[in-house]
Amino acid sequence: MKRVLASFAAMGVAMLLAGSAIAQTQKPVLKPVPRTADGKPDLSGVWVGGGFALLFGDAELEAIKQYDAAAGRKPLPPPEPPPYKPEAEKKRQEFLARKGIDDPMARCLISGVPRITFRPLPFEIIQQPNRLVIIYEVHHAFRFIPTDGRGHPDDMEPSYLGDSIGRWDGDTLVVEVTGFNTNTWLVGVGTFHSDKLKVTERYTRDTHDTIIYEATMEDPEVLTKPWKQYATLRLKPGERIREYECIENNEDIQRFEKLLQK
Amino acid sequence: MKVACVIALSLLAGTAAVSAHHSFAAEYEGDKPVTITGTVAKIDWQNPHIYFYVDVKDEKGGVTQWKIEGYPPNMLVRQGWKKDATMKVGDMVKVFGWRARANPTQAAGRDVTFADGKKLNCGPPAGTGGQ
Repeated sequence: MKRVLASFAAMGVAMLLAGSAIAQTQKPVLKPVPRTADGKPDLSGVWVGGGFALLFGDAELEAIKQYDAAAGRKPLPPPEPPPYKPEAEKKRQEFLARKGIDDPMARCLISGVPRITFRPLPFEIIQQPNRLVIIYEVHHAFRFIPTDGRGHPDDMEPSYLGDSIGRWDGDTLVVEVTGFNTNTWLVGVGTFHSDKLKVTERYTRDTHDTIIYEATMEDPEVLTKPWKQYATLRLKPGERIREYECIENNEDIQRFEKLLQK
Repeated sequence: MKVACVIALSLLAGTAAVSAHHSFAAEYEGDKPVTITGTVAKIDWQNPHIYFYVDVKDEKGGVTQWKIEGYPPNMLVRQGWKKDATMKVGDMVKVFGWRARANPTQAAGRDVTFADGKKLNCGPPAGTGGQ
């Protein structure tokens, strides 16, 4: 009897092991890209555009890899080096040498476009028939992006996120952003810009769980040619936008001042 | 396989700008890792970073208090932390991180190991851009 029980137990263990092996090799579910009533891809949802290793756990990162492979997603083009004019590049190198101490973000100033997309906190896109609203967790920021054919307003004040207007190019949402102030950096440390900056964003929901994001930055005052950056935006089901107030206890400013005096 | 590796790398690398608040290099030295073991003395669960303070005893009975910087609360909760529950004053912890450039008893924490062996990330990897 003991032997029978032991063999049942062994069988049970074997079945459990087989079960977990099946679970591990289970293919990700590939759902179709949702569409709105007017037939456009629906970009609505909570997305993450940067810092996946900071926001996703190991199991989620593994699931993402399996999803990309199952969906046949290709890697994005590698980041292009910033094409700064010689004088502007000199200034950027100075910012780099100072290790990012001058970063407007470290002073809790709101990030501009496209940098805000790459910040490692989620944002929610709410798509309506004639506009999109993007609510960013970082800095309580929001953007209204009309898609009804209107142009930029004629009373724009320079701002951190600029003014956005959108249009559909097939299944891709194209957003033109102008009217920036000069208080933000474009992507990484030292990537300053002038108020002549124009950013063109392209949002393509290539699969249910992903959007290919492409940002083209044009600034005739500091760049020699248009500069492109890409990111995969990842859907984060079950996630919600929380409050993130940066300035409340920001001790970095005082510490940076001391480091600068050294 | 090569494609899978490239995708994996791009997942981790993302773009050139994976930073939530400030550049890691602005305050910390990624080539100076440090591991400290001691008792949690105080926790400031706040933005834009949490700080917790760890009392480290030396062989002569002296105590040095270390200040550890971590993720903001919004990131910690997404890494499995819970305010007032995951870490409490009096807990014995082992913290791995990197030394600050200015303050000899401050570090950017990467992970915390608790007395029961549980280990959780508390901050970003060195050089990722920031916290």
